[in-house]
Amino acid sequence: MKKKQFYSHIVDTDSLTRALLELGLKDDEHKHLEILIESTIHHEIIDAILSELSEGDKKIFLKHLSSEDNHEKVWEYLMDKVDSVEEKIKRAADDLKKELHKDIEETKKS
Amino acid sequence: MLPKKTHYHKLKHKLAKRHEDVRKKVWDKHAIPLADLANNAKQVAMGSMGGLMLLTSAQSNITLPAPDQQVIEETRSIELDKSVFFQSDLAEMLPDEVRPLTKEEETKTGELLSAHYGIPVAAEIDGKRLNRSYGYIGAEQHLARYPGDTMESHFNNPDDAAKYWSSGMAPGLGAWGYFVPAGQQLSETDVQREKYYLAVQTFLSPNFNQRIREYRDFYKFRKMLVVNPNNGKAVVAVIGDAGPAQWTGKSLGGSPEVMKYLERVDGRAKGPVLYFFVDDPNDTIPLGPVDVAEQKLVNKE
Repeated sequence: MKKKQFYSHIVDTDSLTRALLELGLKDDEHKHLEILIESTIHHEIIDAILSELSEGDKKIFLKHLSSEDNHEKVWEYLMDKVDSVEEKIKRAADDLKKELHKDIEETKKS
Repeated sequence: MLPKKTHYHKLKHKLAKRHEDVRKKVWDKHAIPLADLANNAKQVAMGSMGGLMLLTSAQSNITLPAPDQQVIEETRSIELDKSVFFQSDLAEMLPDEVRPLTKEEETKTGELLSAHYGIPVAAEIDGKRLNRSYGYIGAEQHLARYPGDTMESHFNNPDDAAKYWSSGMAPGLGAWGYFVPAGQQLSETDVQREKYYLAVQTFLSPNFNQRIREYRDFYKFRKMLVVNPNNGKAVVAVIGDAGPAQWTGKSLGGSPEVMKYLERVDGRAKGPVLYFFVDDPNDTIPLGPVDVAEQKLVNKE
């Protein structure tokens, strides 16, 4: 089961999971690629957020992020510091998802 | 139709590349707060890193391993691993400005590098030392290995030619002249020496003018460990040339292959490296990039 992230409610990766399923991979292979995708999206989102913050705020954000799954606290902080943060996260994730879909499609056709 | 396994391997390759690119981007852009967190994270149990669980370290090469369940679980828990601690330890140890290290700093840094890379290093061997062990590195060109060695004859394969052709060939020879008197005598050792060479300021060594012959014998193809402290990448290279001049503001030069691996560039974006002698009396340590095995997950592909 995928780990719930603080942005899980706005970033849906089900379409990627379905696309992976169409490749007919073994279970462990599927899970493996799913983790890679999940981690790549996570990095992209963290980069999008950090790029909006000052050096000091970056540290505070990362500290919040490292605390035990306290999503509310993370959101509270981000809402205060970044304009339209949800939109920015969604855009970063969507752009990357398009690329990932392309990778899967190309693999399917190869 | 291609077998399903092929689909998996092909996609894994693409996704691992994407992952590596974005990981590098994050660490390049936000290195300080991430390293700072890694430092503080020493006090935090790894299992309680919440939203950082998928954020891999500066060095972690998460081209993911073969898909068995245990490895997948391990991968989930990869985060700010030893390499980040190494880099933050190093950052703490090094001065803010790029200057010669004190004896104490040099000793501690040498010990840290030896322990981390598993290669014994020292700033001084047999009473001989360079003017410094921490300084800015500049880009050198390829060296002619034998009379008639040109850019056309220099590379073993098209990949290397594509990557390193643009650096060009130095107009003069290295400090030790040609590596061999004729092309037919060129051995793999010579090839590796030219590929991974450094130019260091031998002429600024303490008492150099009184000990020229002694120093010359000592420096000729002497192995050194060069480390980019900002990303932990390290190469074992030999001293192949003398330079650069003091006025350049640089303390050493690296061959195109060394610079590429260390991710260092010349010019305004130049950066510092650590460079220590490798204590390898039996000549067992190979030249080239250094892998820190324990940092890496083995890709069984």
